[in-house]
Amino acid sequence: MTVLGQYVSTGARTGKNAPRIESSVITRSSRPLVAACVALSCLLGTSRGSAQSTDTIPSSSELKRLSVEQLMEINVTSVSKQPEKLSEAASAIQVITNDEIRRSGATSIPEALRLAPNLEVAQVGAHTWAITARGFNSTTANKLLVLVDGRTVYTPLFSGTFWDIQDVLLEDVDRIEVISGPGGSVWGANAVNGVINIITKSAKDTQGAYAEAGGGSTPNGFGAARYGGAMGAGASFRVYGQYFDRGNEAYTNGDDATDAWRMGQGGLRFDAQPSSRDALMVKGDAYGGNEGGNLQSVSVGRSTSGGGSVTTRWTRTISETSAATLQLYYDHTQLSTPEPANQGAPSGRLKDRLDTYDLDFQHGFALGNRHRIVWGLGYRFTHDVVDNSPTLGFFPEHLDRSLVSGFAQDEISLLQTLVLTLGTKVEHNDYTGFEVEPTVRLRWSFAPAQMLWGSFSRAVRTPSRVERDVAEPTQPPIVVAGNSDFESEILVAYELGYRINVTSRFSGSIAAFYNSYDDIRSVSFTPVSIIPLFFENNMAGETHGIELSATWQATSWWRLRAGMDVLKERLHVIPGKMDLEKALNETSDPERQFSLQSSFDLPHHLELDVDPRSVDKLYINIGNGVLGTVPSYTELDVRLGWNPAGPFGLSIVGQNLLHDHHAEFGAAGPAREEMQRGVYGKVTWRF
Amino acid sequence: MAFLTSDPLETHNSWKAWAPALALGLLAVFGMSAAAQASAPSREYQVKAVFLFNFAQFVDWPPAVFTEESAPLAICVLGDDPFGSYLDDIVRGEQVNSRRLTVQRFRTPEEIKGCQVLFVSRSESRHLEKTLASAREMDALTVSDAEDFASRGGMIQLTMEYGKIRLKINVDAAKASSLTISSKLLRSAEIVSSRD
Repeated sequence: MTVLGQYVSTGARTGKNAPRIESSVITRSSRPLVAACVALSCLLGTSRGSAQSTDTIPSSSELKRLSVEQLMEINVTSVSKQPEKLSEAASAIQVITNDEIRRSGATSIPEALRLAPNLEVAQVGAHTWAITARGFNSTTANKLLVLVDGRTVYTPLFSGTFWDIQDVLLEDVDRIEVISGPGGSVWGANAVNGVINIITKSAKDTQGAYAEAGGGSTPNGFGAARYGGAMGAGASFRVYGQYFDRGNEAYTNGDDATDAWRMGQGGLRFDAQPSSRDALMVKGDAYGGNEGGNLQSVSVGRSTSGGGSVTTRWTRTISETSAATLQLYYDHTQLSTPEPANQGAPSGRLKDRLDTYDLDFQHGFALGNRHRIVWGLGYRFTHDVVDNSPTLGFFPEHLDRSLVSGFAQDEISLLQTLVLTLGTKVEHNDYTGFEVEPTVRLRWSFAPAQMLWGSFSRAVRTPSRVERDVAEPTQPPIVVAGNSDFESEILVAYELGYRINVTSRFSGSIAAFYNSYDDIRSVSFTPVSIIPLFFENNMAGETHGIELSATWQATSWWRLRAGMDVLKERLHVIPGKMDLEKALNETSDPERQFSLQSSFDLPHHLELDVDPRSVDKLYINIGNGVLGTVPSYTELDVRLGWNPAGPFGLSIVGQNLLHDHHAEFGAAGPAREEMQRGVYGKVTWRF
Repeated sequence: MAFLTSDPLETHNSWKAWAPALALGLLAVFGMSAAAQASAPSREYQVKAVFLFNFAQFVDWPPAVFTEESAPLAICVLGDDPFGSYLDDIVRGEQVNSRRLTVQRFRTPEEIKGCQVLFVSRSESRHLEKTLASAREMDALTVSDAEDFASRGGMIQLTMEYGKIRLKINVDAAKASSLTISSKLLRSAEIVSSRD
């Protein structure tokens, strides 16, 4: 299946595992690993304070909510406040803390992202996830930008993230900041519906030895070790290594899906303060992994991945009110994925090797008492080399791309309680030339611990290699071909939000949005010959919705976090134009979702966490614009931990406890994978 | 066919949407009135005040230090007060182990009494020995941001490192007053010992 052309040759087909066009083109039903990384304006993403982002001086109740570790992360000098405070003070930001990740029992980044109430997270198989914010979900979702310590993890193949090659030692994650809504004015193209910043701790804060090991039914087994030490003169380091084997998920009938995902990763980080004015960070990671793939419930062999990156960041405090940051990173990603025979073309392997070089500069300073300016420049070069398989490829096989960008933002204190932010990014890419992504944001701290904010922004999703360069198969007759006229997708977004921190015991937020999209991807056919099919920008439409979240420390031993989203989507084919998929191929989103995390601190250092979640039914294109559904589901994760002051800790975690297996994504049929109930145990040791 | 001849540019009309939003933004700017804000201590001392509040939660005192079951837990400031009313705002309405929190202020080491947390202002670092001796009598947790506080026998020293607050904890000094400091706090701190 997986091949778009089959929609044409055989008409609407049901029961396919990866019906969506973009999934079929890129992922086949096996997911390639890989990843790529590209980035820009990363600096901004890495230095933002967590909960204190609402105002220059956080309210006392906001400060009291923070843990000791979080308090130690606050820059208390006016200097570092500068670059720290970029756009999303007035935005729908949710922060996932290290402790929340630990207590959720999450063993991977996507699982941890379930803790962000403003994200849609659907697991498709052992190693495949569909993650987005504010709609447009798919396994190759393309409107969410993800950064790990300032490095954008992004593949130019489909303008999204390969989740199956992203890993960090969750123990060393400081926090994950999730912003729903456009971030283009700072982060640039592809920060359309949201931005995720995964921020690991400074080496200074991960001193000593740590080890963990565990296993069960899912994941089958995992282990990690880290050691951090001091090097004198304000310098410190850490090294770590980890490995996991996430076993197979199952098909609807309970059979093994032979898609086990295994990955090992290691790395080091070095943080130093060569002088009182300078801070230096150097970080490197390398990984390798493999995973099983299947096509129509038949195993097709394993995909392999490997890669690594090096990031260096230098921050200099120029004066009391001015600081600058220079960041440089290099990332190498390669994947090899089996491509079974199809369309008369023989089987083969599709390989991709991507090198990304990225340089970013940023400078923040105060201008008088009212203005705070931040501006920056960025340059990125990507070198992508594809080895085409007979059934799927990209032309040209070698592609070099440059991205040049600049941004500027002025935060104007109109009154002490009223701050207006004006900013824009301007970037030049090799596909569509110049793109402009401005924003206007206003925040009003109208009462103690309460803030109203509104924003108005434009963001774009630039073309990827799927739309421009794809060929499926690679020899004539080609069924799906790239379209060199494919343009950027455009969003104009309006947001309104309210945030309250009543006491250290309660905080809540509401964000409402109205998004107007234009030039959204569609599928066209060639007159007369029908094939090749190709992508155009023939869709437009609106989405609107509300995101609610609240945290309540009910008693000293009981903490509750809840989140709820409502999303309405109305996409249509632009009058006079066509879409083979009847405007159904770009979205597969629940209209409502709800999550709750209930954390109990019990006597004898016991911790109990009960985390139910509920996701509405979602509609999914199963080919030729025929709608299928994924049923609504409610699931429950429970963790029982023992976390005494001593070196050892124990926990047992049950995931997806309510059903033997349940589907979260994909068209119904024997080839759809379902997520199984899983239980694992874990031992931690620190010294 | 119509869909093939379409010009993608004609759909780039989203800029029209900016006009009403801009108008709204301007309205908001000019339509709102100023609200005064009380003078606050520097950001540094705001955060340090919250640290004091946190310390009260992460330290166990011997039961004898409280005169009665419901006696409040007192956070005291000795010397020039850098927090102003902010510290009072922080502890207002808060309880630790069912004990109300209060803030008291003293000018000289001789005056201090009934303190569980004692913040020693930098202005007092000259007579530190006398201060620490009085604090020991009431098993108070001693905290300061004065230089070398922890190595001179104080329990928790707040230091600054590249704009962020760091903790130095002298565990031996705390033990001498039978105070138990939570591992959560120790984990985040640098452990130091007294300099003889």
